[in-house]
Amino acid sequence: MKAPLPSPRDVAPPAGWQTVDLHDPFEAHVGPLFVREGSGGERIFGFIVDDRHVNDEGEVHEGMMLTFADAFLGHAANRAAGKGCVTLSMQASFLAAAKTGDLVECHMRVERKTRAIIFVSGRFSRGNEDLMTATSLWKVLGER
Amino acid sequence: MSTRPVDTSGFGAYAGPVLRDGSKYRFEIAAHHLNGDDRLHGGMMMTLAAIMLGDAAREAAAEKQPGARVNALSLNCDFVSAGEKGETVEGQAEVTRATRTVLFISGELRAGGRILMTATGVYSIKEAENT
Repeated sequence: MKAPLPSPRDVAPPAGWQTVDLHDPFEAHVGPLFVREGSGGERIFGFIVDDRHVNDEGEVHEGMMLTFADAFLGHAANRAAGKGCVTLSMQASFLAAAKTGDLVECHMRVERKTRAIIFVSGRFSRGNEDLMTATSLWKVLGER
Repeated sequence: MSTRPVDTSGFGAYAGPVLRDGSKYRFEIAAHHLNGDDRLHGGMMMTLAAIMLGDAAREAAAEKQPGARVNALSLNCDFVSAGEKGETVEGQAEVTRATRTVLFISGELRAGGRILMTATGVYSIKEAENT
């Protein structure tokens, strides 16, 4: 495994979280991104919204939410497949917008797994408030 | 219309830069746009889609009602092919239908003659705030 890529901004992980080792340059560019273990042993990913991530109205940009989704729904797909996957499609619904300083969390679920295709959904929240839901479809590389 | 950078204050500028010339958007795939396989990261593709569709929605809303704002309700992106480092990605979005309260927008991203992504989005129109 190659050394993780540094993020341009140094942000300390919140209490109970660890910084994720990132290997995709675009994810490192928008990072750092964080991970913690949920009560059921599942992985929960997160990031803290800063001035790089927002739009003119000071709300988190849809592009950042979708980048975060692509990174970690893809992570769930890769783990389910045991090998590399590429995004086929991503559907997102925007329920509420996060603002600078908010900790946004991603809870993923693998809905179905076939040899070649993985279905992954994600729920994105700030505390108990849902911000975005997403469903995604992944192609397992080299399988048909 | 001349070429100018879009979304200069926020994530679009940080992730980009993305340039706009009339209704056409473009950016060159640079090192920081890549994924672990040295191809264009899906997050950057969806970022351009969100910028283009959002601009199209905002402009359509402003035509109906000066000062109106829009909210993204949903965005659907299909990843048709991969982008390679150094390629220029070009995109365009259009209004499919505008009702009094909701806008349906579609768009696509292309590079080197290939379609990279097709995207559709639904936006709500918010009345102008009288502040």
